Amino acid sequence: MSEPNDFENFLRRVATLVFWLLLLVPVIIFPIAFFGSLFIPKQILEFLFHSSEPNILFVLINKAQNPFLAITEVNDFLGLGPCVPAFSYIPPPNCSPTFFRIVVFPGFTFVALITLWLGWYERKLVAKIHMRYGPLYAGRISGVLQPIADLLKLLFKEIIVPAKADKPFFVAVPLLTMGISAALLAVIPLSERVFIIPPESASLGLLVLFAILGFYPIIILMGAWASSNKFSFIGGLRALHQLVSYEIPWFLSVLGVVVLTSSLDPFQVVRAQSNIWFIVPQFIGAFVFLTAAMAELERIPFDLPEADTEIVFGWLTEYTGMNWGILFGLAPFIKLYVFSGLFTLLFLGGWLGFASLPPEIWFLLKTFIVINVIMLVRVFNPRIRVDLLIRFGWVYLILLAVANLFLAVALKALGVF
Amino acid sequence: MLPVGQSLPFPIEVISGDRLSISIGPQHPGSGHFRIIVVLEGDIVAEAIPDAGYVHRGAEKLCEFRHFVQNIPLLERTTLPDANGIIFPYVLAVEELMGIQAPQRAQYLRIIAAELNRIVSHLYWLGIYGPFLGHTTMFMWPMGDRELFMDLIQTIGGTRVTPSYIIPGGVRNDVPDYFKDQALKAIKYFERRLKEYDKLFFSNPLVLKRTQGVGVLNRSDAVALGITGPNLRGSGLKSDTRKDETYSMYDTVDFDVPSYPDGDCWARNMVRFYELYWSMQIIKQAIEKMPSGPFRSRLPLLTARAPPGEVVARTEAARGCMSYYVVSDGSSKPYRVRVSVPSFRNIIGIPHLLKGGHLADVPAIYWSLDYWPVEADK
Amino acid sequence: MGLVKGFFEAFATSLRQLFRRRMTLRYPEQKLEIEGEGFQYDAKKGIGIPGYKGRHILFLDKCTGCQLCSIACENIADCIEMVTVEKKEFPAWVVPKQLAAAATFPQNRKSLWPQIDYGSCVFCAFCVDACPFDALYMTNEYELTSYTKEGLIFTPTQLAVPPKKVGETVKLQAEEMELYHG
Repeated sequence: MSEPNDFENFLRRVATLVFWLLLLVPVIIFPIAFFGSLFIPKQILEFLFHSSEPNILFVLINKAQNPFLAITEVNDFLGLGPCVPAFSYIPPPNCSPTFFRIVVFPGFTFVALITLWLGWYERKLVAKIHMRYGPLYAGRISGVLQPIADLLKLLFKEIIVPAKADKPFFVAVPLLTMGISAALLAVIPLSERVFIIPPESASLGLLVLFAILGFYPIIILMGAWASSNKFSFIGGLRALHQLVSYEIPWFLSVLGVVVLTSSLDPFQVVRAQSNIWFIVPQFIGAFVFLTAAMAELERIPFDLPEADTEIVFGWLTEYTGMNWGILFGLAPFIKLYVFSGLFTLLFLGGWLGFASLPPEIWFLLKTFIVINVIMLVRVFNPRIRVDLLIRFGWVYLILLAVANLFLAVALKALGVF
Repeated sequence: MLPVGQSLPFPIEVISGDRLSISIGPQHPGSGHFRIIVVLEGDIVAEAIPDAGYVHRGAEKLCEFRHFVQNIPLLERTTLPDANGIIFPYVLAVEELMGIQAPQRAQYLRIIAAELNRIVSHLYWLGIYGPFLGHTTMFMWPMGDRELFMDLIQTIGGTRVTPSYIIPGGVRNDVPDYFKDQALKAIKYFERRLKEYDKLFFSNPLVLKRTQGVGVLNRSDAVALGITGPNLRGSGLKSDTRKDETYSMYDTVDFDVPSYPDGDCWARNMVRFYELYWSMQIIKQAIEKMPSGPFRSRLPLLTARAPPGEVVARTEAARGCMSYYVVSDGSSKPYRVRVSVPSFRNIIGIPHLLKGGHLADVPAIYWSLDYWPVEADK
Repeated sequence: MGLVKGFFEAFATSLRQLFRRRMTLRYPEQKLEIEGEGFQYDAKKGIGIPGYKGRHILFLDKCTGCQLCSIACENIADCIEMVTVEKKEFPAWVVPKQLAAAATFPQNRKSLWPQIDYGSCVFCAFCVDACPFDALYMTNEYELTSYTKEGLIFTPTQLAVPPKKVGETVKLQAEEMELYHG
């Protein structure tokens, strides 16, 4: 390793760039913006910031009035200082926690970091069963920095758009997939205190989730058709068949839980499980939910849309670089987290548990166990074939889900719940 | 198959009506160095046309310019997983031409080398069957366990692949002292491991659903098309060159030839699975029965001549019955070497079996025939 | 019910692997042990001595420059070429101590020595079988990489270098149900 290392030079350049940005932006640009804003008429300010009252952007610009305040601001650039009570529920105008909740915790940044390391965890777990190591060298201990290495590599790869492809649709598909996966996050609360959609407006939470999920088959078909490639086309059709067939048993299994609690609100569902978790009376429903969730995630054994020894890479064939990184490495894991979180909310009692651990930790722990189960199914199963898939989804799973629904209605009628 | 001299009846890129033609071609993760042109109607394969010849290197012609012994590294490299198996019949043919016979110890050592290569080739086949079915563990476990047997081949022959171990006159070197312990330890480990393979790979319900009833080749069709090897044994015929036209001391070792009457992919897979078990039994018996003595009769390396004549020799390689037709004109270089490889005999099964199946069955059936493109193209 | 039992058994079998060691050889932190001293050939008895076929080693006090190794390789890989190296050009450590500087290697009258191109060599060891003077053997050394194609052509001096000793090595062990390198 005594040769000039290109990667070290690159890191050095990136670090220098970040350092200068952090120094210049608050010291020079924010004061200019503040003084400039003094000369902007009030109506335009109101239009830009939707109020002339303090919110995060305005507070930031206000605070960087001189270099000392600018440095303070750099250390606290999220504006967490006045917004630490974001966990508690202080409405605006004193504090506006929604931005923090959506973007940082329990919203997008938190989940994105989790999913980056979920990819690492899956590779290590599956590798152990495969008699090998998985990521080992990136980062001193057992390859923990491998997701960062993959992310940086993908950012620098060329994004090839095929000549005959339908450009607007082709480029829009990864953004839409990412957007929808991120939109689903809003419905999953971590506990009674940590949420994105507050309890009083969450009375239709589950319905919203499934309505948003209905977009996926259309987006995938759009991506497959816009690629203008025979293999993508076959993969897109298979994805359409699979996703549409498995949505129905999925709704039916959730319907069992909704019947028992007579509400679509995730908070209500968890509160109703304080006596017994729903996995006990609804075990058939849990099994149907898990199988249908695996089919919606396109995981082995249901990964026919991306069967790489039959149809090169299915509907993802023509996506390269960061397009592929989003479609294959980021969005599926966000969906995995969301569906496992949903399973925990509906069947495993959400955030209920012994009081020695905070409820958020309970929720994350249970979600982690469900994610493990879904990952382990991939280890001993081959891919399923299309006709077997459709027969299983339309015949066996719907029968099981309807039987589960009868069970739920019977339990409700007998007054047990 | 296409008649000679004609191009394809349609261009590869055609979409007409509801037929779609795709080329599972050389640059495809599911094909190897080989192209199959598949015409699909919906999800059902209407026609499948194999297009061999991508890796043709003219090995048979090249053989005419090399001495008998120098052909061994050349011919070995057409079948890398089963190197000893492809050289065995060539060496038997050359020995018959020259009128010499290998000593007994050499014949037992040849059996050990050939059976080790059979195990290695079948484990490679099982390993590649994994990605074709989508089963990731089926890729990793056989490839990992195969290392044990590659180490054994390295102990005997010096290199893990293509050891050039069998030569006319016997074998090149004796086995070292620690070979017996190493081999028995490896066999003990792998016999236990075969039970796990059975539970995880061959009795797995999803694997059964993907391979049972798929690509059925009934007995009369198999005989009429000339299919050889484990594919023939998977269609109900108990035919094995090691038993039918026995050679090189195979009649002194005790083994059974597995065969199943079903004729589908599952039967062919099970035949190869049991061949793994019986190969290990053969190796154990050969190690016990090996007499001490010479193992290499002295022959001049390059200038050994063979009197004019022609010979056909056949053995059972891992993929099927392999035969050589060697013609000599009295010099030390052969006049003509004709290799009849089992993969090329089995290629006729591809259009016959793929028709009427699903697209997802194409890799499952194609690989269950164990077609090795480099071997077929020579 | 056979279906459920089959799935369950497959799942349990794969989970059992979680408690066993991994098989990978972490090259270059771990290096594989190769037993023996390399493939050799006994010209008097006409038999080979089993060993690993790695880099060749040339014994300068036995080679007569007869070119039989080059002729044997000619139709296989064509990688052995005879080159003229004046005996004075060999560095001091290859000259046997008991011979005077002017009369070294009397058996090689024309100063012809083999040069092997490892870019073409297929490691079949027929050159070792062809040498009637036991001057060319093979060793256990397999790390023969280079950044240029010319760097792969090993001169007679490079071939005369004895093989490097490897430090700690591991072996592939097959225990109860575990396969690991240790």
